[in-house]
Amino acid sequence: MSRTAKGMSWIKGLALGALVVGAGLGVAAAQSNSIVFTSWGGTTQDAQKKDWAAPFTKKTGIAVKQDGPTDYGKLKAMVESGNVSWDVVDVDGDFAAAAAKDGLLEPIDFNIVKRADLDPRFVTDHAVGSFYYSFVLGFNPASFGEKAPKSWADVFDTKTFPGKRTFYKWSTPGVLEIALLADGVPADKLYPLDLDRAFKKLDTIKKDIVWWGTGAQSQQLLASGEAPIGQFWNGRLFALEQGGTKVGISWEQNLTAADMLVVPKGSKNKEAAMKFLAEATSAEGQASFATDSGYAPINVKSAALMPKDLAASLPDRHTASQINLDMAYWAAHRDEIGKRWYAWQAQ
Amino acid sequence: MTVIDAATSTPPHAPSASSRRAARGLAAVMPAFALVSVVFVLPVLALLLRSVLEPQPGLQNYEAFFASTTYLKVLANTFLVAGTVTVVTVLLGFPVAWFLAIAPAFWSRLLFAIVILSMWTNLLARTYAWMVLLQRTGVVNRTLMGLGLISEPLPLINNLVGVTIGMTYIMLPFMILPLHATIRAIDPSVFQAAALCGASRWHALTRVFLPLTASGIAAGALMVFVMSLGYFITPALLGGTSNMMLAELIAQLVQSLLDWGLAGAAAVVLLTVTLAIYAVQLRFFGFGRAAG
Repeated sequence: MSRTAKGMSWIKGLALGALVVGAGLGVAAAQSNSIVFTSWGGTTQDAQKKDWAAPFTKKTGIAVKQDGPTDYGKLKAMVESGNVSWDVVDVDGDFAAAAAKDGLLEPIDFNIVKRADLDPRFVTDHAVGSFYYSFVLGFNPASFGEKAPKSWADVFDTKTFPGKRTFYKWSTPGVLEIALLADGVPADKLYPLDLDRAFKKLDTIKKDIVWWGTGAQSQQLLASGEAPIGQFWNGRLFALEQGGTKVGISWEQNLTAADMLVVPKGSKNKEAAMKFLAEATSAEGQASFATDSGYAPINVKSAALMPKDLAASLPDRHTASQINLDMAYWAAHRDEIGKRWYAWQAQ
Repeated sequence: MTVIDAATSTPPHAPSASSRRAARGLAAVMPAFALVSVVFVLPVLALLLRSVLEPQPGLQNYEAFFASTTYLKVLANTFLVAGTVTVVTVLLGFPVAWFLAIAPAFWSRLLFAIVILSMWTNLLARTYAWMVLLQRTGVVNRTLMGLGLISEPLPLINNLVGVTIGMTYIMLPFMILPLHATIRAIDPSVFQAAALCGASRWHALTRVFLPLTASGIAAGALMVFVMSLGYFITPALLGGTSNMMLAELIAQLVQSLLDWGLAGAAAVVLLTVTLAIYAVQLRFFGFGRAAG
C-alpha cells in the first residue's frame, strides 16, 4: 500500500469524524423564529406552557420550545462557552440575584416589559418574577387521624406526628428558616440566620428526613404516605388537591419567595425573549397562570381578573403570619451556606 | 492457552506484516478516535485544567478535597458501594453464567433473553420500579407486613441496602455476559481428565473449574466495579444523602454550588482511581484476558 493511499484514508477518517460532530452542531444552530423556555417540569411548566407560551405564539408567531429541568450548571456552561441555547429560564430567587452579580444574565428591557405593573418585591434589573409561592406545611390526613399538625414545630415533633418528614433537598432559602422557626426564633429575628442553631435543630430529626429534589417527587412522597408530613410548594399541594388527593395544609408562618424569569447572557433571541417576558408577566398571563397553578401572580393588576373563590387559596391571601424569605441575605451567603449544607447532608 | 499466547507474544519473524496490519487498522479507527477526542478527551482535559486553574492557579482544590472529612467520606462510600455491588454481583452472576453455559438450548436461550431484555429496558424506569417496590409503603414491605413477618416497615430505600439492590440488578448482565463467554470456552474434557486423575467433584470445581473462570470473573468484576464507581442515577434515587457517591457530589458541585474547580478535582480523583484499577487489571490478567 502506497503512502498517499494511506494518507487519504486518514483524511477520510478525519473528515467523517468532523461530519458527525458538525451534524450535531448544525441541529443546534438551526433555530431562528423560536425561543427556548426552560423551567422545572411537571404541573408548573404545563401551566406556563398553556398560559404564557401558547398565547405568545398566537400573538407573535414565535414558537416556544419547552426544555427542562432548570440546571444552573448548564446555564453557567452555556454563558461561558458562548453557546446559549436557553432564552428564558425559570430560576430560584437567590440564584437570580447571585447570577446577576456574576454577570450571567442579560439586563431586562423595561421598554418591552412593563415594570410599573409588577410587584416591586419581585423585579430587579436582571430578573422579573415568574410567580410567587409559599413554602407551607403539608400533610397526609390519612396518616394522623384526628390530629392535624399546625406549626413548623409540629414537623419536628416525631412523637405526636410519627413517620418520615420531607424537605427540599437543595441549598436554597426555606429549610434553615423552618428549623429556626420551629426552634422558637421569632420571625423578625430570623436574619442573619443562626446556622449553628438551625443545623442543631435539623439534627434532631435527621434520620427521619426524606429529601425531595423535584416538585413531582414531593407530591409522590406525600400522596403515597411515604413521608406524610413536610415542607411543600403550595402550588404542588394545590395540584394534588385538584387531582382528587386529600391534602392537609397549614399556612401558619408560610414562607414566601418568587421564582424569577431570567435571560442568560448571550441569548441568540434576546428581543423575542424580552417579548416573552412581557407576555408572561402581563396581567392576563399572570392571572391565568395563577388560576391553573395555585401560585400567586406577581402582576398587581392580575387579582381583579381572577375568580373570587380561587383567590382565597393563593399565598397572597395568607399574609397574617407570612414571612418573606430574604433573597438579598441568601445571594450574599449562597456559597458559604451551600458548602455547609451539603457537607451536613452527607455526614 | 494458545489464544493467550498469540495475544501476548508477537511472532519474532514477522514484524513488518503486523505493523502494516496495525497501520491499516488505525485508519479505520480514526472516525471513532476523532469523535472520542472531541466529545470525551477534550472536555476531560478542560475539566482537569479547571481543577488547577480555578479560582486561582494552584492545587488548592485538591487540598480542599482531601482536607474535607465530608469529601473523604463520600470517596470511601463510593468504594464501599462499588465493592459491595461487585461482590454481590459475582455471587449472584456466577451460578447464572454457569447455568447458561450448561443448560439445554431452550432454557439457556430463554434465560439469556431475560438477561438481555433487562439490559435494554430504560435505566430510569428500572430504578423507579425499585422505588415502588422498596419504599416504606411499597410492595415488599406491604407483603411482609401482610404476612405478619414484620410489624414495622423495613428500611430498604434511601440507604446502602437500596443502592446495593438497585445497582446489583443493573450490573448483573455486565458480570454474566463475560463470565458466560469464559465458561463456554472451557473444554468439558478437563473435568473428565480431573476425574481420571482422582480429583473429587469438589476438587474439580475449586482446583480446575474456578481457576479457569478466573479471567472471566476478573473481567466482569472490573467492568462492574469501574461502572459502579461513576454511577449517578441509581444512588441518587435509591440512596440517602448520607450514602452519597462521588458522581453525585460532582453533580452537586457543578449544578448547585457552581464550584467547577473543586468538581474538576473530584472528577480527576475518580478518573485516576479508575485508570489505576484498570492498570492493575492489565498487569495481572493481560489485555486478552481482561477482554474476556
